[in-house]
Formats: sequence, structure tokens, C-alpha cells
Amino acid sequence: MAAPGRHVGHYIQRNGRFLLCNIDQVLGHRSFGCTTAVRQQAAEANKESAESIVIPRKKTWSKEAVLEALASTVGRDSTAYSYQFQDDPYLSPRTAVEFKLYSLSQESGRSAAKYFVNSNPKFFTKDFAEPHIPCLMPETVSLCLEEVSEEALKERINLRKVTAAVDMYDQLVQAGTAVSLETTHGLLDLISLYCDRDPVEDEGPQTEDTESKDPKKKKGNYRRASDFLKFSWKENNNAERIFNLLPERDTRCYSALIRGMVKHGAYAKAFSMYTDMLNNRLTADVHIFNALISAAPEVREKYNEKWELITELLKQMNEQKIRPNLLTFNYVLKALRRCGFLAKTQSLHTLSEMKALGIAPTLASYDHVLAVFHRSGSSGPNGVDILQEVVAELAETNFTCQDPHDVMFFANAIRVCLDNKDLELAYKVHSLIEFGENYRLLGDPFHQSVYYGRFFNLLCMMEHVDVVLKWYKRIIPSLYYPNPQGMKDLLQALDTDSRLDLLPSIWKDIKSFGHDNKPDVVEDLLSLMTRDNHSAEVQESFAACALDIKSAFDLNLTSRLEWTNSSLSHVTMLLLRANQTKSAWEMLPLFKSNNRVPSDDLMNSFLSLCHTDGTSQKAVELVQMSAAFCLPTTPQLAKRALAEFDLTEEQRAILSELEAAGGEPSD
Amino acid sequence: MASRTTKALLSLGRINIPALGLNNAVSRVTYATALSVNSSSSKKGAPERNGRGFGSRKPRREAEGPRTEKMPVDQDWTAVYPAATPFRPGSVPLPVRMGYPVKGGVPPEKKGNLELIKIPNFLHLTPAAIKKHCEALKPFCTEWPSALDTDAKCDEHFPIKVECTDYVSSGLSVRNPSARIVQLKVKLSVLNLDDHARKKMLKLVGERYCKDTDVLTITTDSCPLRQQNYDYAQYLLTVLYHESWKTEAWEAEKTVADMEEYSWEGSPSQKNIMDLLLRMNVAGEGEGEEVREQLLGRSEVQEYKDSVTRLKNEGDNEGSVLQYKEAVKKVFNL
Repeated sequence: MAAPGRHVGHYIQRNGRFLLCNIDQVLGHRSFGCTTAVRQQAAEANKESAESIVIPRKKTWSKEAVLEALASTVGRDSTAYSYQFQDDPYLSPRTAVEFKLYSLSQESGRSAAKYFVNSNPKFFTKDFAEPHIPCLMPETVSLCLEEVSEEALKERINLRKVTAAVDMYDQLVQAGTAVSLETTHGLLDLISLYCDRDPVEDEGPQTEDTESKDPKKKKGNYRRASDFLKFSWKENNNAERIFNLLPERDTRCYSALIRGMVKHGAYAKAFSMYTDMLNNRLTADVHIFNALISAAPEVREKYNEKWELITELLKQMNEQKIRPNLLTFNYVLKALRRCGFLAKTQSLHTLSEMKALGIAPTLASYDHVLAVFHRSGSSGPNGVDILQEVVAELAETNFTCQDPHDVMFFANAIRVCLDNKDLELAYKVHSLIEFGENYRLLGDPFHQSVYYGRFFNLLCMMEHVDVVLKWYKRIIPSLYYPNPQGMKDLLQALDTDSRLDLLPSIWKDIKSFGHDNKPDVVEDLLSLMTRDNHSAEVQESFAACALDIKSAFDLNLTSRLEWTNSSLSHVTMLLLRANQTKSAWEMLPLFKSNNRVPSDDLMNSFLSLCHTDGTSQKAVELVQMSAAFCLPTTPQLAKRALAEFDLTEEQRAILSELEAAGGEPSD
Repeated sequence: MASRTTKALLSLGRINIPALGLNNAVSRVTYATALSVNSSSSKKGAPERNGRGFGSRKPRREAEGPRTEKMPVDQDWTAVYPAATPFRPGSVPLPVRMGYPVKGGVPPEKKGNLELIKIPNFLHLTPAAIKKHCEALKPFCTEWPSALDTDAKCDEHFPIKVECTDYVSSGLSVRNPSARIVQLKVKLSVLNLDDHARKKMLKLVGERYCKDTDVLTITTDSCPLRQQNYDYAQYLLTVLYHESWKTEAWEAEKTVADMEEYSWEGSPSQKNIMDLLLRMNVAGEGEGEEVREQLLGRSEVQEYKDSVTRLKNEGDNEGSVLQYKEAVKKVFNL
């Protein structure tokens, strides 16, 4: 849709002005014409031109600056689903399952398209986009250089083909060609990173990138099997072999190997390689130290030994004049989580060290500190003070993801609030998220749902129902699809503040979230509806809702919903209360077909119903039915029936028999 | 997938019932019930087909109503329609109708209405949105010079006005060839032109000059880039100015037909009136140049000259013809 925008500028340029001023000077005073008025104006103009016109300097900005400024005016639409879906009532995901399905299908479509573009680059040569969009053009994924040379080796390293690169390197060495040190570094890095295996994306088009997973991009809870297979560092694999064959080894070679060993679980070997390096009088670099610090808790057993090892490493780092970076401190804090009683004091010391060095702690650091101070399940102020300080420190800042662990902060922070039932703190944590673009730090949809689940749980527990409903409209379902526990919490909150008239609309929502097949949710709902008597229109709505629930049971396709005693009774009671007698009578056979026993109250209410309707035959059937169920109230029912109804002799006979039969003591 | 579509149609029918209410309710109800048999049977058929797959595979639930039902009245509309997007009936809470009316009825409603989707809408540019955009764009602007507070002053200090247009559209390319057009406007009164220069300039520019507003407009689009067109326009202005001040040798050959306005001296009208007056006049005055001079000096002749000049320059309107009549009467002492 083209929207031409007219940009009319008084294009004030110096050239134009100077042209006219030059004309002025050369050709004298401008002649405006003959009229005196204009001459006066000319005189005034001459006076004014003495007051100089200051043309401000033209501002420059980047290409996207205007768009970013306009984008900052857009808030959040609380009824809309996530932007990547089509905004149509039929095409938006209603449940968490649909959300995952749709986003995965989008991703798979995208990667299938990318696969086609990359495998057939000859069809995608024309570039339509102006300005050029590089990520839409085909990338080279297949090798083009086949001869034994260093360029071919570099190409294989760039395309991350581990086995091919190793083969090429071996061929080069056998041929006697010297491989440059840079390329050797690259090769060692490659092998160590992928633990001597080809990365998974070689196997097919369905997989996602194995590179650093941007938290925003990763959709859903899709964990591949290969994530769980921990590749372990084998003895004397290609990396070590090549390393040992190298004529001279420098820091980077050691660094590649040590980091690979730590990443793939060979911690002790990493430390021995480090001592090797020191014996060869090489200085380490910051990455080596980071890796070793993260490996330290694995190689020692007792808390103080772990801490001593870490301090030892830090001292050596200092001696070798290597400046620690953010990851160093984050790994220290992470290791401290496993250091037991030492952790509390030392973590605070670490934080102050960070500040002294001018490295700002990120969300990951605060998360580790919080984990140190908070133990779920224990009583007492459990990390609340720390969290309050952290929140006060971080208020009104824009976060960027500097450590992959940053995304765990919010879920854990809200858990602290939940355990301590601190609502104010939870609101403060939430305000951190709502500031600017910090919502990106919530992580993948799974962590996001964890966060919102806990937040909503806390709200339902602590807040007045109006506030709960306000938040309900705001975050559900655009940000969070509640799980059955969440719905039960909401029902609880409604009950606490006696807003049970909203229950039918909540049932609609439960259906749309796909929880209408969860027996506990349905049971809760039914019992809440049945518990008290309400006004007439509320009862009407409850009855309609009950019929709806009944149809849900009838259409039960997943065989998870089964009629229980209570659910049947509740539905029948609701129908009776709203005087939907026909539907109520239809309920009774269901008891028999589902092998359930109706309660005494129910039978009594039915009898009253019969009394108001005046259907004595039905009353007799009712009593017979209760006898069939062997209910203990059968004699009372029979007595009532005899007393209240006018019956035929036959009916009287049946009833008296039942009364008598029930009077006998049962064994 | 047929079951899905019938289900969708079913819910379509169901949803429309509360919306329409009156006229078509009956027909829709029958439509709905006719389909309900099919769909309920197909629902039971679905599980067998989808025995495998993502866990508990239910058939599609009834689609809920559009999200307009959930929208609060005081919501932030700029968040719902932040950018130019096609019309979505499920997101716009207005009961809009468009199209040729159904026979005996009203224009069709917004749901599934292609007419509403085809036209451009400005839902993203409500006054509130524009206000927000202006606020956001203020940091990009510099201050207006305080000395330029009236239009007259602007015209006086910056008499040349250049106009260019930028085009925005969504598509493969952000480039638009119409964006290269540059239009330069200047009032001729601010240019220092004497009589000859002005006439020559007017002849040179021809149609680009508007007599009523005294504005010369130069539009350039012959170069591919806007900067080039701007430079060319400036160059044209400069060249026109300098050329109109120069007098070429061949300009002396300007004939009466090239003259822009009528001048009475040396015209047939002067000759005629002189001859007439001489013959008519008191014969005793004698011939010669002094007689002509004297005759010319007479006020009636001056008046006659003015009226003829006016008639020729302005054309035939009532005032000029009357003036001519008076002048002729005076000359002939009628």
C-alpha cells in the first residue's frame, strides 16, 4: 500500500542565499517597484537584515534512527497474540500447544526455504531487494576447492566441516606443506568446539543452527536428542594428536584445547594441560582462566578446596597480568553456588571486586548471587533483601544479553518473590521487564511461561480480584497461556473475593486454552458453582455453563474426562436450581451408565421437584432408582413420597415395600 | 480437511447470528443446523484418522469471537495499528459497512469484505498517533531561526523555494523514480531585471512564468538523481538571469509582431490620428514638425493615446471602450 508522503522543505541552502546577496552587492539596492509601501518595506528590511539570521547546523543521523524513533511510540497491544502469527481469529494460537506448533512450523518452513535456496543457488541469482538484503541471498554451504592446499583447509574450517578439515590437514602435513599458525589455530578451535565431530546441521535441513542461540530466536521447548548426548572428550582424539605434532605451540593452541576439554567434560585433563603450559613458560589468556574457573568445582570435592582452587587461579591470573572480564566473575559466582557456606560472604566480595574493576554486573551475576542467598522451601527472609537491592540497582536500565545465563534471572527472581509472598517486590521486578526492551531478557517461551506462571500465581494469592482480573486481561493470552494450575489459582482468587458470577466466562476461557479435558479443573469449577445459592440470572448462567460442561464430557475424545460422583451431582444440582427440569431428568440415567451413585441431597431435591411438578409416577420411579442404588436414604424418600404425593394403590404398595425393605439393618 | 472447513463455516454461521439479529437469522439458523450434523459426525471421525501425532490430537475447537470483543474501550489504538496494514475485521472494533447494498438491504458487513481490504486505510494515522509521532520526531528537528517569524521575511531573505518529494511504499525496493523531480520557484520581482531583461526573460521561459503570481517555476527531471536535478535547476536560473541581461546583435531586428505590449508611438493609430487632425485642423497653422509636436502636446491627443493603448493592451472591456469613446469625442469636439 503506497502512501506518498509530501516533504516540502524550504530548502534553505547557503548557496541560494549567497547568490542573492552577491547580486545585491554587485547591482545595488533591489528595486521592488514604484509603490511607496514597498519602499517602506524595503527600508524596514534593510534594518532587519542587521539582525542576523542564524541558520542552525543540519543534524545527521543513522539510516534507521527515524524508524527507531517512531517505533518507540508503539506500546503493547494486550489483546493481540505474538506478532509472528497471523492476526485473524481463526489463525491465532489459542493454547500453548498450538503456539508451539505454529511457531515450530514457521521455523521449519523458513529453514526448508533456506535449504532450497542454499542447495540451488543458480536459481536465486537475481537480487530484487533494494537496498541489498544479504541474508536472503544463497550462502555457500558446499565445498568448492578440492585440491590439497591451505585455502581448501581454510574453506573447510569456515564451513565447519570438522572431519574434512582434519583430513585436509593430515594430507597437507604428509605432503610436507607448512600450514600457517593462524590456520592451525582455527583448526584447533574448530575441533575443540565440536569435540571432533561434525556439527549436527550436516545431517539435514530440519535442524536449527548450532551456533550461539539467541534467546529470542529459539522457539518452544524443542530439545533435540543431540542436546542430551553429552559429547565427551576422548583420549588422544584429533585435537590432541595434532597438538602434539605441532612444532611450536603458543597460547592460543593451549587455549583451544583447554576450552574444548572443559566444554566436553575432561576437567582434570584441562588442569594438567594448564600446568603443562605453565611449565613451558607461556602465559595464559583470559579465556583459559574462564574455562578453568568454570571447571574448578568439578575437580575438587570439599567446599573450601573448591574455593581455594579458584582463588589460586585468580592469583595466577593477577601475576600473569591478565585482566578479568565479565565472564570471569560470572563463572566465579556460578562456582560459588556449589561452595556451600562460603558462598554468601565471598559472593558479595566478588561483586564489590567487579565494581572496583569497573565491570558492571549483569543479570547472570545477580542470578547467581540470588541463588546463593535463596533456598526454596526454607522459612525466614530468604533472599528478599538481596533482591530488593538488586532491583533498586537495576531500575530504569536497559539490559542487553551479555552472558547466556542472563535469561534465567527473571524466572528465579519471581520465584524468590513467590516463596516470600512479597507482592511489592514482584511488581518491581515486573517493572524492570516492562522498561524499554527488557522483555527480551525473559528467554525462550518456556522460561517466559514459567515467569508469568509464577507471577500470576502470586497475584492470585495476594491481590484483590479486580486487580487479578485486570492483570488477567493484560497478560493472558497475549503473553502467557495459563496451565491448569494457573486456572485453579484464578478460581481460588474468584472464590476468595466472591466473584463467582464470573465463572461462566472463565469456563469459556478454560475451553479456549484447551484445559476442558483436565478433570481437576472441571471438578473445581463445578464445586465452586454448586456450593452456594446465587441470584436467578447467575443461576441461569451457571446452568448454561453446566450444560456446556456436560457436552464437554459427552464429546470426551481423549478419554481423560470421566464422570465422577461429584461432577455428576454438581451438574444435576445446577440444572435443578435453574429449573431446567428436562435436562435434569436426562442426567439421572447417566448415573447408572457411568456406574456412579447420586447423593442424598440430590434425591431429595429431585423429590421436591416432582412434588412441584406433580408427577407422582416419576416420584415412584425415583424411589425405585434410589433403591437400585442401595442408597441409605431410600426409606426416608419412600416415606416422603407416601406423605406428599397422592398415589395409586399400586404405587403405594411399591413404596411401602421399599420403605420397609430399607428399614432392615443392612449387613 | 473438509471437516475443518465445515466447522469453520459452522462457527461463521453461529457468530453471525448475534451480529445480524433480525433479517437473516432464520436462514442462518437453518444453515447452521444443517451443517451441525455433518460436523459432529466428522468430529467423531477425526480421532481415528489422527491416532498418531502430537499427543492428544483434538479436532479444532470452535473458533472464538474476534478479539474486538475483548478490547477495552480506553485501549491504546496506536498499539493495535502501529503501521500501515490491511484492514482486519477481527481487530477493528467498528461496525463498518461497505459495498453495494444487498437487494433491499444494507451494504455488506465488514467480516470477509474484500472492498474494505482493497482500499488503503489510515487506521495507523489517527490524531493520537500523529501526535506521538511528532513528539518522537522533534529531536531530529532543529530550531527555526527566530529572526524569520513572518512569511514576508522568509520571502525576502530566501526568495528561492525548492520543492522535492519523497515516496514511501512497501515493496521490494525503496527507490522511486519520481523522487528525482525538483521544482524551483522564484518571484521575478526579486530578481534585478530592467525592462529589456524582463521581457527577454519572459520570452525565454515561456510557459514557466505565471503572470498572476509573478512566479517563475523551473521543474527539472531530466537527470536520474535529485542532486543533479537540483544543480541543473540552479544552473538554469543563473543562466537565464545572465542571458536576459545580455543584448545580442540580432535583437535589434525585433519587429512589431514580437513586441509584448502595444506602444502607441510609431503605430498606425498615431499616424492616422495625426493625418486626420492635420487635415481636419485649422488649415492656417501650416505644415511641419512643430505642428505635429503641438498636436501631440494637446491633451485630447494624449487622452486618445492612453485610451488606444489601454484598449490594445487590456482588451475589450467596458471601461476601456468607454474611455476610447470619450477620447474620440473630445478629439473631434463632438
